[in-house]
Amino acid sequence: MTPALRKLLRKSAPEAPDIDAFISENEFPLVEGTDVTFVYRGAADSVNLRCWISGLDTAQPFQALAGSDLWATTIELPKGSRIEYKFEVTHQGKKNLILDPLNKVIAHDPFGANSVCQGFGYERPEWATHDPLSRLGTVEDRQFHSKAFQGQRGIQVYLPATFRENRRYPLLIVHDGGDYLRYADLKLVLDNLTHRLEIPSMIVALTQSPDRLKEYAGNDRHAQFLVDDLLPFMTAEYPLMDSVDSRCVMGASFGGVAALHAAWRYPDHFGSLLLQSGSFAFSDLGRHSRGPVFDPVVRFMNEFREHPGRPADRIFMSCGVYESLIYENRSLVPHLQSKGVDLRFEEARDAHNWENWRDRLRVGLSWLMPGPAWLVYE
Amino acid sequence: MKPRTPFRLLLGPQRPVVNLGKAMTAAGVGDGRIAVISAAWQEAEGDIDDIRALVDNELFDLPLYRRAEALFAADKPIHEAYRNRQDQLIEQQNMYRLRLRQLTIAAREILRAEGSAAAIAEERRHAISQLCALDRHHLRQINKIYERFAEFFNTDRSGILAEHIAAIRQDLDGADTVLITGGNVVVLMNRLQLFGLGQALARMNIVGWSAGAMVLCDRIVLFHDRMPQGRRDPEVLCNGLGLVPGTVLLPNAKNRLRTRETVRSSLFSRRFAPATCLTLDNESVLLMEDHKVRDSESVRHIARDGKFERVKLA
Repeated sequence: MTPALRKLLRKSAPEAPDIDAFISENEFPLVEGTDVTFVYRGAADSVNLRCWISGLDTAQPFQALAGSDLWATTIELPKGSRIEYKFEVTHQGKKNLILDPLNKVIAHDPFGANSVCQGFGYERPEWATHDPLSRLGTVEDRQFHSKAFQGQRGIQVYLPATFRENRRYPLLIVHDGGDYLRYADLKLVLDNLTHRLEIPSMIVALTQSPDRLKEYAGNDRHAQFLVDDLLPFMTAEYPLMDSVDSRCVMGASFGGVAALHAAWRYPDHFGSLLLQSGSFAFSDLGRHSRGPVFDPVVRFMNEFREHPGRPADRIFMSCGVYESLIYENRSLVPHLQSKGVDLRFEEARDAHNWENWRDRLRVGLSWLMPGPAWLVYE
Repeated sequence: MKPRTPFRLLLGPQRPVVNLGKAMTAAGVGDGRIAVISAAWQEAEGDIDDIRALVDNELFDLPLYRRAEALFAADKPIHEAYRNRQDQLIEQQNMYRLRLRQLTIAAREILRAEGSAAAIAEERRHAISQLCALDRHHLRQINKIYERFAEFFNTDRSGILAEHIAAIRQDLDGADTVLITGGNVVVLMNRLQLFGLGQALARMNIVGWSAGAMVLCDRIVLFHDRMPQGRRDPEVLCNGLGLVPGTVLLPNAKNRLRTRETVRSSLFSRRFAPATCLTLDNESVLLMEDHKVRDSESVRHIARDGKFERVKLA
């Protein structure tokens, strides 16, 4: 039990004003070193912590405290951890999955929002917060015809603050680009890292598939879309550098699979890849157990593992240690290194979510596309 | 009356606070024409309207970046040789970096070491002298590369180069002061060196900020403790123009250096001694005349013990 709770429970049955004071005097969840205590107050039959962390039980039960309406559970969270969670509250036989009412820190994703527990030692990186000195890039909507998908496709294009028509820029292609902008603060991160000269001024093509689970799952049409539709469009419309090593593709989860697949199908088109928590499911023997949506991914990954080739010269991979995909990601590292790929792999005490991917952008982007900070003294 | 010797007005980054105009007024820069060298901005060279808004003097752009591009386009052999030289410089810098890393780690460890004072002092001196020897060796190698280039490609061999140099000198004759902006210090130094501007600038008043100040030193030292991939050890890039002798200038030191890590700072100071390591942060002003400091607002020097101290006026 945490010291804060122990203090409250000095009385055998704390009364409502004691609990009110306890709630108003503390921030929740209670982070006391590596012990994290989640607290819920309200009428309930049972309360569970749901945090989808590989290694922990899916549902962590709360205990009701001393006949009160206060519920709590404590887990051990290693230093530097960050997890997203919800409370599963059952009341009068009805289950509800809710945000933690006592915690204002929330992360959004395409499915809604989760409460965020920032464990001992975790801090949102300074470069991922608003910097009033950073000059702001712009994002514009563009449309073009896709031969691969036989129809119009929309993308967003990020232009750096110092964009000039007469200069040439490297190109970054981002899968789930809209989600990266919304949930991983990609524009703010690009503005800040460019301002700090940690990455070069670059043009970023942000794609957003209307059917990502199909198109990103090792799909040849999608690879063709990137190479035969998107690249020519970007080259015709924007002043891009003309070399392979000035082109990087990135993506998270299925977007990571899409990036790796495109670079594998079309070697010598992309110099570097940034793959975050890639859904690199494979099977050594028999069937995989991740459900039918993964069937094409596993087909591709099995083939890729058999014949990896050399999809790019440099690859940065990251994965949370609290996600089940850590196994697949770790196992890919020696595979790629054995093919001479200059590879860097970073693990984080986080799970499969956008803020994990945001927090790894600085080290990944600046390693793949280093900026001129060393040589520029403004 | 003795004519005023050329002054060197050295400033830090011009963001977030711009102090260029104020510092020029305080330094007594007259109302003569000013040539602006903004080659460090590369393709953005010549976009000097922001500077015009700060200074009353008549300004004109002295394009070195564009002239170099034009020279390379018109004189293929010189361009080929230049590329070849740049490849050699990069290779030399990479080898230097390899050796530097090991020596720097050792020197830092020895600076931290505890034990018999006499023995440690001797080892410290030797460790630092090895670093200094490597820096000197590196500079010799770099200078050899420059000399080889100059031997084959000079105004006798390239009429186009001679035309550019003559045009630049003519432009400079019409200016009282040269203003050199910050930016990419390698690009700036390469262009100054390519057009042999050291001597021409020596007789002129110079205002320089950040990279524009660094190139005036005897040696250009690259530094950055806060790179995303971690700290990097300071590296000597090449000789500067030697117009602010005896100093190593450190623009934006507050943000680029871990100033509280006194072992790192102490090593920085001792490695480049007898030169004085001076910070040039935003709003700093360093005014030098006759190699003496006349003003030093917000400038700090790194002391032997690694502390950052105010600069005393001459």
